[in-house]
Amino acid sequence: MLRDTYLIMSNEIKVTFRNPFWIFHGLVQPLIYLVLFGPLLNGVASARGFPSANAIQFFAPGLLIMNALFSAGFVGFSLQDKVECGFLERLRVTPVRRVALAMGLILVSSIELLIQSTALVLCALLFGLRFDPWGGLLLVALILLIGIAMASTSFTLALLTREGGVLAGVTNTFVLPLLILSGVMLPVTFGPPIIQALARLDPFLYAVNAARALMSGAILDGSVAAAFVIFAALSVATLAVFIRGMREAVA
Amino acid sequence: MAAPIISIAKLSKRFSTRGRASIEAVRGIDLEVERGEIFGLLGPNGAGKTTTMRMLCTLLVPTGGTANVTGYDLMTQASEIRRHIGYVGQKGGMEPIATGRENLMLHAQLYRMSRTEAARRIDMLIERLQLAEFADRKAETYSGGQRRIFDLASGVINMPELLFLDEPTTGLDPQSRTRVQDEVRALNKQGTTIFLTTHYLEEADSVCSRVAIVDHGRIAALGSPAELKKQIAGDIVNLGYDDEEGVAAASSLMNGTRLVLESQRIGATLHLYVNRGDEALPEIMRILGQGGRPPKTVQLSRPSLDEVFLKLTGHALSESKKED
Repeated sequence: MLRDTYLIMSNEIKVTFRNPFWIFHGLVQPLIYLVLFGPLLNGVASARGFPSANAIQFFAPGLLIMNALFSAGFVGFSLQDKVECGFLERLRVTPVRRVALAMGLILVSSIELLIQSTALVLCALLFGLRFDPWGGLLLVALILLIGIAMASTSFTLALLTREGGVLAGVTNTFVLPLLILSGVMLPVTFGPPIIQALARLDPFLYAVNAARALMSGAILDGSVAAAFVIFAALSVATLAVFIRGMREAVA
Repeated sequence: MAAPIISIAKLSKRFSTRGRASIEAVRGIDLEVERGEIFGLLGPNGAGKTTTMRMLCTLLVPTGGTANVTGYDLMTQASEIRRHIGYVGQKGGMEPIATGRENLMLHAQLYRMSRTEAARRIDMLIERLQLAEFADRKAETYSGGQRRIFDLASGVINMPELLFLDEPTTGLDPQSRTRVQDEVRALNKQGTTIFLTTHYLEEADSVCSRVAIVDHGRIAALGSPAELKKQIAGDIVNLGYDDEEGVAAASSLMNGTRLVLESQRIGATLHLYVNRGDEALPEIMRILGQGGRPPKTVQLSRPSLDEVFLKLTGHALSESKKED
C-alpha cells in the first residue's frame, strides 16, 4: 500500500509541477493577497477596536489560514479532470489499493500547501512579520490538518458532482461564508451580534484566532486547543468519507 | 473443454436516480465467453453494452445476478480479477501532461512490476506497436489514433488473459480504425481473449468470432456473425416511398403473395424478405405497378448484421436514441 501511495504521489507531483500555470495559481495568487491587501489594512489598523496595532501581524496568520481554505478547497477540479480523461478509471482497473489512490492525492495537496505557506511567510517577513518559532511549527501542523479536511471535502464533492460547473457553485457557496465569518479580512467583533453568533459556528474562526495566537507565541491560548480539536476531527471524518468514495465504484 | 473465461447469469444493473424512477440499464444477461474468442457486444448507445462491460471489469457493482471472470467471482474476488484482465475504456485514460512512456510506467508499476521489469515490457510494446516516435512526447500531443494504440499498449501491459475494449474504434478515422482492428486480431492470435463493445456492424462482422446483439439491456441474439445472418433467409428488398401511407398501401399489395417470406414497415420504407432477390424483384415491381403504387426507390441487399439487428429489434442501429 505504501508503494502504491508513493507511485500515485510521485506521478501527481511530476504532473502538477510540469504545468506552467501552477506557478501562477499556486504561488502568485496567494502572494497577491498579501501584497495588495496587506497595505490596505495598514489604514484600518489604527481604527478603534482593531485588535493589533501592526496590520501584518494581524493579517498574515489569517492569510495563511485563508490560503489553506482556498488552495485545498478547490483541488477537486483537478480530480474531475482525471475522471474526465479516464485516468482515474484506468487506475481503478489496476490492482492499486483504493486507499493509496486517496492518500496519494491528499499528500500532494498537502505538499502544495506547504510550499505556498512557506512562500507566504517568507514574503510576509519582508513586510515586517515576526513570529514565535514553536508557535510557527504548530501552525504548520494546523494548516496541514485544515488542508486535509478541505482537500478531502473538495475531492469528495468532485466525485459526487461530476461536473465542473456544479462543483464551482457548490464550493463557492460554502467557501465564501466560511471565509467571511472567519474574520480573516476584518475582525468579526466589528459585526452585529447575529454575525458574531454565526461566526462562532465557523471552524475557521477558531483556526484564524489560533493562527494569530500561535504566531505571537501564545501556544497555550484556548483558541489553539479548540482549533486543533476541531480540525483533527474534521480531517479524520472527511478523509474517511473520501476514501470510502474512492472505494465505491464511482468514476 | 476448459472452463469459460467469462460466465455470467442473470446479471443486471439498476441505477437509482434521485427523485426519479430508477433506470434498469442491464436486465438479466446470461452469457459465456470461451478462451481465445474475440467476443463482441453489439448494440446502439444506451443498450447497456458499456454498463455490462464496466460490471465485468469491476468498475461497477451489479445489482443482481452472478458472474465469474477469469475464474474468480466478481462479487467477492474483484482484486484477483483486476490482476488478470486488461481494460481500455472509451476515454482511454492517459494522463495528458505525462508522456506515453511515463503513463505506461505508472500502470506497469501499479501491476506490481519492478522498474526494470516494467521498462523491459514497455520497450517491447513500444517496438511491437511502432510507438517509438511518440513515446517520449506528452500524451496531449497525440492524435486520436496514436492515443488509441497507446491505450492498447496500456491495456496489455500486465499481459492479461482477457482484454476488455470499450468501443475501441469509435471516433477514429478509417485508417486508424483498421490499424486498431489489426492490432486487436494480432493480440488475439497471441492468445489474449478479447471482449469488446461496438456499435459498428462492419466491425462486429469482420473482427468478432461471436457477437451478442444487445438492445434495451437484454441480449436479443447470440452467435457468430454468419449464424446471425443465416437467421435471415434469402435477400432483402427495400422499397422507398414518400410517406407511410404509400408504405401501407404497398404492404397490403405485397402481403399474401407467395414471394414475400416476411415484411417489415420502417418509416417510409418497406422491407421485404424474399428467397431470391434477383428473381423476385421484377415480379414485385410488376405487382406494385399494377396496383398503382410503384416505389420511389428500390434497393436489393444481402443480409447484413444491420438487417439482423433491424429484424430483431424493430429499429435500425443508427436510428436508436443517444445516451449510454
